[in-house]
Amino acid sequence: MPLHRLFATLGLCALLAACAAPGNPAGARLQAVRAFAAEAPLLDNYGELTERFRSTYQREKPFLSAQADVGEHLLDARRQAACDDLITLQHAVQAYLRVLGRLAGDQRYDLEDQVKGLGTAIKAWPDTGLDERHVNAYAGLTRLLARQLTQGEQDRSVQALLRDGAAPLQTLLDAMHTLLRYYAKTSANEARIVLGVLEVELPFADTPRDRLLAVLGKELLQAKQAEYRTIGRRYTLTGHELDALARQHLELLTRLDPPDPHP
Amino acid sequence: MPTTTPPASPLDLEALADSLSACADVLHARLMRAIRSSLPAPAQALPGSIDHGLSQGAAQALFENEVALRQRANGLYLDAAELAGLGLDGQQQVLLELAAQAQEKIRRVNRLKDMVSLLADLLALGAAVAAGKPEHLGAPLEKLRRHLADLQAGAPPSVQP
Repeated sequence: MPLHRLFATLGLCALLAACAAPGNPAGARLQAVRAFAAEAPLLDNYGELTERFRSTYQREKPFLSAQADVGEHLLDARRQAACDDLITLQHAVQAYLRVLGRLAGDQRYDLEDQVKGLGTAIKAWPDTGLDERHVNAYAGLTRLLARQLTQGEQDRSVQALLRDGAAPLQTLLDAMHTLLRYYAKTSANEARIVLGVLEVELPFADTPRDRLLAVLGKELLQAKQAEYRTIGRRYTLTGHELDALARQHLELLTRLDPPDPHP
Repeated sequence: MPTTTPPASPLDLEALADSLSACADVLHARLMRAIRSSLPAPAQALPGSIDHGLSQGAAQALFENEVALRQRANGLYLDAAELAGLGLDGQQQVLLELAAQAQEKIRRVNRLKDMVSLLADLLALGAAVAAGKPEHLGAPLEKLRRHLADLQAGAPPSVQP
């Protein structure tokens, strides 16, 4: 009976597969890669701060004298052009991280659903000579076989992607951090221009006649101070996040292809 | 090959901009001191210094200088950013290509999974045939037909086993 030969073959394969099953460094590594790739949304912060850098002029404009406005207008045109390029850094890094996460995905090389489908398909025909025992054995063995055979392949692909992307990823993360520093310093000067106008003008409005102006001005000054404090913290935080990503990535690289599988 | 020699590295530009910003800070502190001491009663001010009395117009004019310094600094930060952004196209391209290749690999794995589903259909079909129950052939055949159609729709022209 050919069916018996099929089960005998599968049984042998299952034995081989079972030997490779216990202790799974590849699985742990894939999990670490998934955790790393899941950080990709953090890079949105870089994008948002790049957009904030782009719109520096819009925020400054109400506070600028006619003379200062001319100079700032010229800077604005250049800033717009630069940001078109600088925003693409985020997209390249995110595209890489997302596909890395998908490739290392939990379900990616998992044939569980397919195997379950097979089991139920066979169970639907009880009077074919295939009994429950055979079906369960077949499904179980195939599951084991499929997982063991393909996780090695998945692990190899993920390692290759990590290795090949290492240099450009580190370069781009480093560049993003540097740019973030320029954004932060530009923002600091923007803050001092905006707050400076209020600080310089408010003392002269401190007269009974300009009482309302003084009150409104002080309110605005406080609101702007709070805004710039918050945004200042965000530059710092995003810088730390970029550093952490770069560190995590370097750490993953040290875990590639360990010469000894038992550390 | 650049036709003009680049004026400085991003770090040089940044350092220069930092010092301009610092100058502006000093100017601002001086200006605010002058405004504060001149407004209520310029009692302790030395005659002839700006602490001796500062009109609003004079304060605005001095503040304009501070703004000009800050704009100059921000121009240099922008120069530095432009410079830092140069030459990264190649690195971005590498990452995007790697992502595309990996995406293709994922597609192949998904096709493999489709093949396993197909195998399940075939086995179900075989079971129905072995049981000699032609009335049971309909459902597995229909599933098989659907899988084959999906496979053909999603497959690129050259089929890699």
